Parts: sequence; structure tokens; C-alpha cells
Amino acid sequence: MELLWDGYIQPGIWIVAKILAIVLPLLIAVAYLTYAERKVIGAMQMRKGPNVVGPFGLLQPLADGLKLFLKETVIPTSANKVVFLIAPMLTFILALVAWAVIPFGEGLVISNLNVGILYLFAISSLGVYGIVMAGWSSNSKYAFLGALRSAAQMVSYEISIGLIIISVLLTTGSLNLSDIVLAQSGGIWNWNFIYHLPMFVIFIVSILAETNRAPFDLPEAEAELVSGYNVDYSAMTFALFFLGEYANMILMSGLCATLFLGGWQAPLPFLDFIPGPLWFIFKICMVLFIFLWVRATFPRYRYDQLMRLGWKVFLPLSFAWVMLVATFLVVFDKVPA
Amino acid sequence: MSFIDRTARSFLLVELLSGLALTFKYMFKPKVTLNYPYEKGPLSPRFRGEHALRRYPNGEERCIACKLCEAICPAQAITIEVEPRLDGSRRTTRYDIDMTKCIYCGFCEEACPVDAIVEGPNFEFATENREELLYDKDKLLENGERWEAELAARLEADAPYR
Amino acid sequence: MPKLTVDGIEVEVEAGATVLQACEEAGKEIPRFCYHERLSIAGNCRMCLVEMERAPKPVASCAMPAADGMVIKTDSDLVKKARNGVMEFLLINHPLDCPICDQGGECDLQDQAMAYGFDASRYAEKKRAVKDKELGPIVKTIMTRCIHCTRCVRFSEEVAGVGTMGAVYRGEDTEVGPYIEASINSEMSGNLVDLCPVGALTSKPYAFTARPWELKKTDSVDVMDAVGSNIRVDARGSEVLRVLPRLNEDINEEWISDKTRYAIDGLKRQRLDRPYVRVNGKLAPASWDEAFAAIKEKVSGLDGKKIAAIAGDTVDCESMTALKDLMGKLGSANIDCRQDGAKIGGPRSSYIFNTTIAGIEEADACLVVGANVRAEAPIINSRLRKRWRMTAGDFRLGVIGENWDPTFKHDYLGAGPETLSDILEGKNDFAKVLESAAKPMIIVGMGALNREDGEAVLATAREIADKYGLVSGEWNGFNVLHTAAARVGGLDLGFVPGEGGLATNDILDGAAKGDVEVVYLLGADELDMAKLKNAFVIYQGCLGDAGAQVADVILPGAAYTEKNGTYVNTEGRVQYGWRAVFPVGDAREDWKIIRALSAGLGLTLPYDNIDSVRARMVEINDVFGSINVTRKAAWAEFGKAGVMKSEGFASPVRNFYMTDPISRASVTMAKCTEAFVKDAAAGKVA
Repeated sequence: MELLWDGYIQPGIWIVAKILAIVLPLLIAVAYLTYAERKVIGAMQMRKGPNVVGPFGLLQPLADGLKLFLKETVIPTSANKVVFLIAPMLTFILALVAWAVIPFGEGLVISNLNVGILYLFAISSLGVYGIVMAGWSSNSKYAFLGALRSAAQMVSYEISIGLIIISVLLTTGSLNLSDIVLAQSGGIWNWNFIYHLPMFVIFIVSILAETNRAPFDLPEAEAELVSGYNVDYSAMTFALFFLGEYANMILMSGLCATLFLGGWQAPLPFLDFIPGPLWFIFKICMVLFIFLWVRATFPRYRYDQLMRLGWKVFLPLSFAWVMLVATFLVVFDKVPA
Repeated sequence: MSFIDRTARSFLLVELLSGLALTFKYMFKPKVTLNYPYEKGPLSPRFRGEHALRRYPNGEERCIACKLCEAICPAQAITIEVEPRLDGSRRTTRYDIDMTKCIYCGFCEEACPVDAIVEGPNFEFATENREELLYDKDKLLENGERWEAELAARLEADAPYR
Repeated sequence: MPKLTVDGIEVEVEAGATVLQACEEAGKEIPRFCYHERLSIAGNCRMCLVEMERAPKPVASCAMPAADGMVIKTDSDLVKKARNGVMEFLLINHPLDCPICDQGGECDLQDQAMAYGFDASRYAEKKRAVKDKELGPIVKTIMTRCIHCTRCVRFSEEVAGVGTMGAVYRGEDTEVGPYIEASINSEMSGNLVDLCPVGALTSKPYAFTARPWELKKTDSVDVMDAVGSNIRVDARGSEVLRVLPRLNEDINEEWISDKTRYAIDGLKRQRLDRPYVRVNGKLAPASWDEAFAAIKEKVSGLDGKKIAAIAGDTVDCESMTALKDLMGKLGSANIDCRQDGAKIGGPRSSYIFNTTIAGIEEADACLVVGANVRAEAPIINSRLRKRWRMTAGDFRLGVIGENWDPTFKHDYLGAGPETLSDILEGKNDFAKVLESAAKPMIIVGMGALNREDGEAVLATAREIADKYGLVSGEWNGFNVLHTAAARVGGLDLGFVPGEGGLATNDILDGAAKGDVEVVYLLGADELDMAKLKNAFVIYQGCLGDAGAQVADVILPGAAYTEKNGTYVNTEGRVQYGWRAVFPVGDAREDWKIIRALSAGLGLTLPYDNIDSVRARMVEINDVFGSINVTRKAAWAEFGKAGVMKSEGFASPVRNFYMTDPISRASVTMAKCTEAFVKDAAAGKVA
């Protein structure tokens, strides 16, 4: 009995509690990311943004969520119904499970995997499946074209993201995300973005493309494709895509903070009294702000320009950087143990 | 030299950063949003809103059933039927506007020789079902009575430019 | 043949032509209001001014005879200025009420003001107003709009032959209207509406009904009389709104009679819009299948001799063809298209208007036997009048039968067959007229032929034709004037009793006695329905008239505006009418009903579309192969000499305005009857 309690039930409850502790705030964060997006872009366009539902429009995301929840789920007659319904779930689940390895503070991680970065990379690569399934099962040319674009785009930019991560790994010497963060301890001058500044910029741009955000939101280019792969989705199925997309944004921001911005660590040692998770959240917010800021500023890329940028600019540059870092580490004998 | 300059600018993302700086600056400018429906923007006397059929001051309806509005209507939203009234004058027995077809181009009021059909300042006439947007003669005349003061003022204000 | 130059184009015109005609020859459009090809020249609107070299001022081209060597300019600055000025003068007293004017959209003044007028008026004084005139139930007047072109005055004087219209007072005070307060008692008064270039005379039944741009225009043929006037049917949606004449120099020129024009409102009431079957003595609505089943139950196994069919006056040739073939399959020879029992149907030359309507313009003398041409065919009467005017009164018209008024001077010879015999024997003065005429003609009406002695009358008329040279060379002066649009077509198709078959009167008598059990009435309403009480009557038609009252099964057919149909007019001219609107309710095109019925009876007719029906018609009689033309019919022996009764000929048309189901159901025709026929009886109108 005690074995059952100590060996299974208690850890089970603990794990579920930990998962909920991440997933619930994450969902709320997604909701308020949409709110922040509308407010920030509104401000940059001299508008007010949502301001009617609740004080300062703070209840707007809840109202939107409720609306999506209550709407009718339309399933097109010609759709492949099973795949059509699985696709949004897949996207949503993948966006959540990746958080298992993100460290919010020292030891504050669900699974301190020693190949955490590989796990993360694998999960985010799987995200393309949800989109391809959605586009194909809708049986609509708009959705299909949107899915094709989306898939091609995500695959292309994953390569340069991979190379950028390799250069970070070279200087860190670990695949464990907590170790990567700890390797940047000691203040802002030890953070990776200082050493890898060109890669940091390329990484930011690549995660924009990876999450299908403006100016790389070609899959949903409403002028040409109505809404891309999710054109036939409505109500909850659409909401799942929506949540997944925004959760992915937050995830990518977290990855960015972990890899380049010192994770949960304070920029200056005397600021250590502020708890690590708050720093981490603050850094995520900063990166998310860049997401929104860029959307408000830049027009959409043309598709061929997007591919050219990915394959002809980012890929050689990041590859060259890997070579440069490796050469540097070998020549000066600084390869981490 | 200019090549180096251009390349440096390109690699340093000068243009992108200046764009970002501009939008960032705009974030702190005063907002132009009106708090509709508590605040409303100004309307031109030529604003083309909800239709109305007007009457003469003595209560006689202006419309003489000439059908010019029906003929000009590019959306074919207007349907008119005519019969001689008991006093022998030419009046409509039916004057329907399908507001769901209407594109609010204002040709009908341009075509009207007696200023009977006009597009008024009202644009807040949303309904809960389609049927309510199929206006008949009674509805249009009622609109005319409700908005007459404003309609007359707008026509007068715009008269010098016609 | 004067040669003249118009805007540098040299044209040669016939002697006596006007400058305006020369300009048209050269392809130049000359605006005009008062000038009309078929009326005398008035020259009072001044709109047709052109510049002529060596003339001190612009000349009115409509009134100026073309002469050799004239040099005309139609688009010089002077001409433009003159037109501008004339238009401005015309518009001084013309009210700006186009939006409420029925002429709006098809108004000569509107169009020409746009094309040749000035963009603004300089006239600030008071405009004139004129009291409206009362012209009866057809023409509505708004005389303030009148521009004094006097087309209406000239039309009523010259074409209609009722000199009731005129212009009184002078200058600005001129008023056009009837001299005395009286309606225009003419069968042609509707044409005034077409003639009026402005909205002064408009159509009363059509008042405020529609705008010309809303109407779908369909060419068709009139069935109200046997003339086959060419008409244009204007419809909006599913409703026929008006009928206008279509130019055909050989038939109606550009006139149509009032019945042709206004009887169409009869198609809006008492329509048969679904099949009916009589159940327990009462007509009950039924489906097509039920109606066909009821017919099948009655007809199957019945001897063909007990079945008969009568075709009415306004049916199309397609349905008669189908019915004839169906009756053949049923083994019945009892078919007849002469519901008045007229004794005609021999060789083609014995039942058509051989002279042709246009041929009247060559005739010198005409003997009318038993026909009230003015009531039976006003268009033909207007041709006779036209001929009379062309010859300055030398054209002699002799009338036997009722003393009707042809609107011009005529010789009333007598009431009946005796007079006819007198002429044949040369005892009447008119015999000399016929003898001395180069191209004499005779018109035999239904009033003379639908009697029991009809064949004897026909024989006498034929003898007169032979004796006085009415038929010589190219000229054939022997004419039969029909009153029914379907009659000649029916005779051409052989819709007459076959071997051992019964004619109309025998069918009726047989039905009364019980020898004939089933009678198929194809739009036939002018019968003695009391005799059909015992028979099983199938009525196919579009209106609930006499035939529908006694029917046991009603099959709703299409009116003439609702089907593509072939009609043969009294001249033997085959013409097509086209569908303007779809039939009401469940009604169908008539030949299709018969085709469907034949399938229901298991005797399927071998045609599925109108082209194959028409091919079948050509097979029966090849005149149906030549459309819109008349064929010369070979002169032959016909008629049967016999004793003619002494009673006078009486025209079958007692009331011009009500001759068939459609016009009987028409409100406008009822108003006209009220205004004219009863007034005429009371002697109130001229």
C-alpha cells in the first residue's frame, strides 16, 4: 500500500501537478499574447486595440475563447474526417509537450533531459505534420496550397536553426538545456547572444519563419489563400490551431531566451534577488514583443524571396559560423570538456 | 565606396532597424480611435446611408413613380409598380428596396427628379434577420418622416455643389 | 428622276419625292415631328429644316419637293442653329413632366431634344396649360404636352376616316382635339397613341404601367381577326402589358386595330390554369394524369364515328395538325375547323383573299358581299379607304348585305342574294362598274357563306368573277374575307370532315341525339353549347368561356402570346408568332397537350418538338414551307349552283370589340363596347 502510494500515486500526482503548473499558465499566456498582440499593433497604428470587454479590454481573450468554444464545428463534406480532426489536436499537443524540457529556473524543469535540445528540435519538427495533415484532409485547394507552403517553409528554416543551435552547442558542450543556461552564468556579458550576435539575429528571423509569423506568414496569406491550411476549420478545431500556433511562439521565445539570453539568470549579478523564473518570463516577453513589433512593421515577403533568404543566405551564413566557431575553439584549444 | 556602404548597411540591417524604430515611436503617439458608439465621426452631407422616401410639406408623397431609380440601380435592388391613383396622379403601389442587394452607390438619389428617394445619414440599421432588410414603401416613407429635418438640411447644404 | 446632292453625296430620287426623302436616301437622319410617311405633309413643326444652296433661309425639307441640281446641307452650322432654335421654341410650352409621362423613354421629343436640342432654356415666362380632351376609353390626353404636329388630325381624317379631330384657335392658343366633345369612334384609334411624337396622346389602359426599357419585346402575329396583323408583344415578367404594330407593308402597314391592341387584358382573367375533370356534375381541379385518365376511360374502345373534334377560331396550326392526326389514329373523320358552319373548303383559290391586301391598292372597283369589312377586318377596310383616297374617289365600293359604313363614299346595292343575282344578270348598275373596271374585285364575307345556301352564294360569286373578268392573267379579284385567324390554316391542313365525316352542324346534332359521344373542342367557343349537354366534352383552351362551361374535361392551353405558333391569314400567308411569356400555371402549349394525350391514350404521335410538327404540316400541305409570303392559288371550279334564300346577308360580327373569348374577357373591350357600340345604337356619336 505504501509502495503504491510512494511509488506510483504520489509521483503521479506530482507529475500531473507539474504539468498543470506549466500548461495552465501557458494557456493563459497564449490568451493574453493575443491580447498583447492586438494592443501592441494597435498602439503602433495609433489605435486603441480591444478596450470594451472588461477593464482595458482585459477580458477580450476570454470572450474570444468563449465565442470559439460555442461556435459550430463545421466539417466539410469532402474532408477526410478523422485526419481533419486529428490535425489540430496534434499541432496543439506538440506545442505543449515541448515545454517538458524548458528550464524555468535552477532545477525548475519537468524533465531534465540530457539531450533536451534534441528533444525540443525533434518535437518542433513534428509540428509540420499537423499542418500538412490539416491541409491535405480539408480537400480544398487553398488549404492544400497553404499547407505545402507552410511545410516547405518550416523545413527550410529548421536547417539553419539546427546549424545555429550547433554553434551554440559547440561553445557550451552540452545538450542539456539547464547546462546551456548555466554555461551563460555570470552576467549579461557571458550570454551567448554577445558571442553569437549574427546567429542571434538569424535565429530571431528564423523562428519568425518557423512559426509562420509576419513577415513570413505566407501560408495564411489572406490575399491569395484566404487563410491557408486552416481555412476550413472553425470553432474548437480552429481554436486548437490557434492555441498551438501561439504556444509555439512562446516556446520559440523560451528557446531563444534559453540559448542566447541566459535563461533564468539575471543580466547583472546584483539583480540575483529577483527569482529566476521571473527573469525567464521577462525575457520571453521581450522576444515576444519583437514578434509583434516585426509584424506591425514589415510587409509580407514574397514566397520566392522567402526561400532564397532561407537557402541562399541563412544556410551558408550559419554554416560558415559553425565552421568559424569550431575552428576558433580548436585553434585556441577552448573546446569545452 | 558606395558598394561598401550599401553592403554594410544591408548587413547591419539599417533599413529594417529604422523601420522598427519608426513603429516603436508611433506606439507612444496619441490614439485616434473614436469610442463608438459614444463618440462618432463627422458625416458629410453627401454621406450615403439608409434610404428614405420623402414627402412634401403638405404631406403628399414626392415619389411620382418615374422608375428612373429602378432603371439606374446597378444592383437592381429597387422594384417599383405603378398604377394611377384614384385622383389620376401617377403613384407607386409598390416601392421596394432590397437593402441586402443595395451597394449604396447613391445613383437612385442622383436620378430622382423630385428628391423623393434619398440616402440619409443613418447607417445604424442593422437587423437580426434578412427579411427586415427588404424595405417596402411604408418603411421607406416612415424613414422619410423620421429623418426629414436632417434630410432637408443635408440637401440644402449640398445644393450649391450640384 | 431628279438628281441632287446631299452633304456631298449625289442621290437620285423618284419624281415627286421630297428633300427629306432624298436626305434619307443619302443616309442622313433628319429630325422631324409632323412628317409621317403615311400621312399628308403638314410642314408645321419646322424640325426638319435643312440648308439649301441659293435659298435665303433654311427650308423645311419635308415640304420641299426635290428638284434637279439642288445642293442640300444637313449638318452645317446654320442647320444646327436652326434645329436648336426650333427645339427651344417647341420646348417653351412643353411641360417638363417627363418623369410622369408615359411616353418617357420612347418619346421623339425627348430623344431629339437630347440629340439636336440646346442644353438650357432661356424662357422664364409662364408656360401655357391646356385643358385635357376626352377621347374615350382608349386614348388618354394630356394636351399641355401637345406640340401641334397635327399627326393625329391627319390620321383620323385620312386613315381612320373619322373627321373628328382638328386644331382650333391660333398661335400660342392653338388646341388640338375633337371639335365637339365626343370620343373617336374608330376601330383604329389606338394608332393615335403610336403616332403622337410626344406624350399628349397616350394609352389609357396602359397608363403608368411600365417603362419601355423594362419590356421584353417579342414579334408575333395577331389572332383577333383573320388579317394576321404583325404585332410586337411587350411583356414584363410573366405579364403581357401591351401590343404594338410591327411594320409589314403587305398586311397592316404600321396600323393595328384597337381589338388587336387592347384585347390582351382579357388574358389576365378567367384563365384556365390547371386541368379540370367533371365529378358528380361539378368541375373539380385535377392533375394532367387524372385528366388524361378520364379521357382514356371514355374514349378507349369507343367507335371512331362517335368521336368528333371542332377547332376554334384562334388556334394555331400546330395544334390543329396534332389533333387531326390524333383523330385519325382514333379512327374518326368527324373533324371541322368551321365552327360557324361556313360552306367553304374547296380549292385554295375559293377560300383565300386572292387579291392580297396590298393588291387592293391596284383595284378599281370592289363588290363586298355579306361582309362588314370595317368590323370584321378594320385593316383591310383602311386599305380600301387608302385606295379610295389614292384614286381621289374614283374607286367604287359596292356593298351587298348590311349597309355598313366603310368611312368613305360607297354604293349600297341591296341586302341579299337577289341583288347578287341581279349583278350576275347585269340588271344592277354596279355590274357596269365591274365590267368597265380594269382590275375589279369581289370580297365575299362569312355573312354570305355561313348560311345553308352558302355554296350557292359562293357559286354565284364565282360566276360574277368569271363573267366580269375579275380573274384575268395575273389579276385575281376573287376574295373571301375570313373572320377567324385559324380558318385558312385549318382548311389548308384539311381540318375538315373526311370520308363519311360529320361537319360542325352535324356533329352538334349528332351529339344532341347521342350519335356522337365524345366531342373534342380545341378552343371552340362559338357553338350552340346546349346541344353538347349529353356528350362527353373535352375542352382545350386558355379561357373559361362557353366551351369550358359544358366541358367534362378541361385541358388548359396557352394563349397566342404564350406559344410559338403558325397562323395563316385570310390571304393564305403563313406566319409565325413567337412566345412572349410562359403559359399560366399548369397550362401548356396546345400541340404538346395533344401529343401528351396521344401518349396517354397509347396512340403516341410521331413528333417530339415543334420542328417535327412543322415538318408534318409541310407534309400535309406545302404552303407551310413558305413563310411570310402569299402563293398564287390556281383558279378552279368551286361552289354548287343552287337556289339562294331571299333573306339578307348578316355579318357574323355584331360587336367589333367582342368576337372571341379573349376579347370577351377584356375589360378594355367591355369599356369600348359601352362607349361605342351602345352609343352608336343611341346615335350619340358620328
